[in-house]
Amino acid sequence: MVADLTVLAPSPEEPALKVDRLTVAFPGAGAAARSPIVDFSLEIALGEITCLLGPSGCGKTTLLRALGGFARAKDTGGVLFQGQWLKEPTPDIVMIFQENNLYPWLTVRRNVAFGLPYCEGTREEKRVRLEAMLRHVGLEAAADQYPRELSGGMRQRTAIARALVVNPKVLLLDEPFSALDVALRRRMQDLMRAIWETTRTTFVMVTHNVEEAIMVGHRVIVLGGRPMTVLLDERTEATPKDRYAPETLALQRRIEDLIE
Amino acid sequence: MSRADALAPTIFGAGTLALLLGLWEYLGAGQGVALTSVLPPPSRFIATVAESGFRIGLGSQAAPLVQSVASTFFRVFAGMAIAFIAAIVTGAALSLSKVATWCLTPVLYVLAPIAPIAWIPTAIVVFGISNVTAVFIVFMGVYFILTIATLAEIRRLPEEFTTIAGNLGAGPAHRWFRVVLPAILPGVFTLLRTNFIAAWMAVLVAEMVGLRDGLGAIIMMGRNLFNNELIMFGMAIIGVSGFIVDRMLALIAARVLWWRI
Repeated sequence: MVADLTVLAPSPEEPALKVDRLTVAFPGAGAAARSPIVDFSLEIALGEITCLLGPSGCGKTTLLRALGGFARAKDTGGVLFQGQWLKEPTPDIVMIFQENNLYPWLTVRRNVAFGLPYCEGTREEKRVRLEAMLRHVGLEAAADQYPRELSGGMRQRTAIARALVVNPKVLLLDEPFSALDVALRRRMQDLMRAIWETTRTTFVMVTHNVEEAIMVGHRVIVLGGRPMTVLLDERTEATPKDRYAPETLALQRRIEDLIE
Repeated sequence: MSRADALAPTIFGAGTLALLLGLWEYLGAGQGVALTSVLPPPSRFIATVAESGFRIGLGSQAAPLVQSVASTFFRVFAGMAIAFIAAIVTGAALSLSKVATWCLTPVLYVLAPIAPIAWIPTAIVVFGISNVTAVFIVFMGVYFILTIATLAEIRRLPEEFTTIAGNLGAGPAHRWFRVVLPAILPGVFTLLRTNFIAAWMAVLVAEMVGLRDGLGAIIMMGRNLFNNELIMFGMAIIGVSGFIVDRMLALIAARVLWWRI
């Protein structure tokens, strides 16, 4: 089962996504001044979990949208993916939104299977993959339920399964757990790590929860200012994955001070 | 909710109906009472129509009741089905072009409030006395309002729905058929149900003033023959059929198109 889900091993030489002098175009007149992202550069490493933090309205969600090809970039730069400028969304980079991720008229299984017709492989391979993914996120028992019958955590697990089942190179998550209560949130963070251990997919997650970023990420990037700049770029894989360890709390305090 | 709680509205509703029918029968029981001749109670009008073997009309022209019910149902359902599909197609086409929406929205809003009944004279002139006339009237009664509803439903869709489908690799056609269409169906269908009464009434009026068969024609025939029993019988059948159709539509909405966006 593990072999079914593995995509690629991390190779740190080549970045998964390279943001190169990105300026996001905002629709409307006089928009250039209002755009939060001007001439911005950043590299997202392959096979890592990168967490983006920052005060609300700093442009972190806009950056995430640009990473998926959902935002209109000016010609001066952009996002490089596999050596090409990213012009539009692709199934290689799948985005998970805060809400409205699931189609209410489809069961969990059919929601997860939504993107499979557009993937390569035989029917049988896809079926095996689908069932493996449902087991992997712990939804095999709920596979025939409809989204309205699910808890918030189960819904986001379904969305994650649907994104991962199409074998993307990069998974983008926009505050995926912000609507969940603390206990559930922590369980989802553990699940994210567990999923990553198996698939080693590149994850980029926007969150406003500092603890979440430290616990889940290999790397935490704090964004802020206007136009947006990187305020802090910290590797956290050495930080103990224990929310009450002194190193964790110290880093959390440092980041919180920075954001305020 | 327990089973008894769930059944309570049905029991109370049926009880009230039975009570009113009983009262009607009681008041109309005496001979020579004015009420009895104008509003003959069910036991009388059903008996009278039963005498002619539930055939409506005179002599050899008499047609079975089932035929009247079938023609009215056919007209209403054909008109509503065509209007439903046409409205979704039009709404979808309009949603692709902002300019087309700007051009046609005022037209839709002007045509939508015209009561379907108002189309009867024109329809009879254009299509003659035929099923096409009736279907056309029903169509005109619901098409515009359903097109407006389709547009509103499409505008109301969460942006994420189509974005996600496109992200996973679905092309424009698949985004439409796998996401937009199922997402808007329940909302448009609810409005179809709301407008069913208007369509139903339009067909009945058309049958009274022009077409020679159907449930509406029963009433007119009763009037021409000074047959109050036949008029009452026609009214009762119209009431019961309308109720059954509305329940059927409600059942479709609850069982088939149950999701909400």
